Amino acid sequence: MMILITGGSKCGKSSFAEKLLQNISENKYYLATMKPFGEDAHQAITRHQEMRRNKNFITIEQYTDIDKINLPEHSAVLLECMGNLCANEMFQEDKIFYPVEKIIKNLNFLHAMTDMLVIVTNEVGMDGISYSAETMQYISAMAELNQKTAQIADTVIECVCGIPLVIKGEIPC
Amino acid sequence: MILVIGGTCAGKTEFVKKYFRLSDADILDASETENFQNAKCIRNYHILIQKLCKENADPLAFTERLIQENPDCIVITNEIGCGIIPLEKSERFWREACGKSSCLLAERAEKVIRIICGIPAVIKGECLWS
Repeated sequence: MMILITGGSKCGKSSFAEKLLQNISENKYYLATMKPFGEDAHQAITRHQEMRRNKNFITIEQYTDIDKINLPEHSAVLLECMGNLCANEMFQEDKIFYPVEKIIKNLNFLHAMTDMLVIVTNEVGMDGISYSAETMQYISAMAELNQKTAQIADTVIECVCGIPLVIKGEIPC
Repeated sequence: MILVIGGTCAGKTEFVKKYFRLSDADILDASETENFQNAKCIRNYHILIQKLCKENADPLAFTERLIQENPDCIVITNEIGCGIIPLEKSERFWREACGKSSCLLAERAEKVIRIICGIPAVIKGECLWS
């Protein structure tokens, strides 16, 4: 089962994603894609670590190439988040790579390997601002990733003020 | 009138082409403010509004005219208002004009469809599949 959770920033996506997995106690993995660079990143990581405390998550940090992680059979994975993964795959050593196909391939791989894959993504293209060319490329890559992931996901949820709106499929009981 | 709204590159035009069986030739891009009376579909309406703002034309009056003169049109626009309000006055004016135009279009439209992650949600009017 694959579930995609989208929404603006700080709209309760992570809390809801964790709630989806709350009844799973074994082989539950938190796939962290944020590179711990800078004060903001450290704060976000600490905040999310606090949220996950005592919830039986095993944390794996993997910033790119998420198909390289080792998982046992019948595991559940919470990938957080697509925005970081996309940026990490895209901007490497002063070069820009087109990340969409690789990430979708890797998500398919993870999907086949797990019983439950929950992916947290982000809506970044609704502010009408013309950013630099690189950032516009990132915004369009994220939009394409979100569309393609939504196509392969069983369920797609948009979080608004912490309220989950189902836009595809249904929330598993 | 049908309004289709969503974030940039969210799959709005692809959806409209597929669902309403339109070809590229049926879709007028916002670079033109002419010929809008006959267009089956206008895309990038937010860019058209931006153009009108720059020309000191009245975007709401234009939208009103569009509704009067092409009442069966499918209008595709980007959601541009979900960010910090910009410091630059012209940017604020553009967002306001877009927001108000979208409200006006939505009010008169029989159907409003919001696209997110390529998935349509009907937020006004009858469900798509009924």
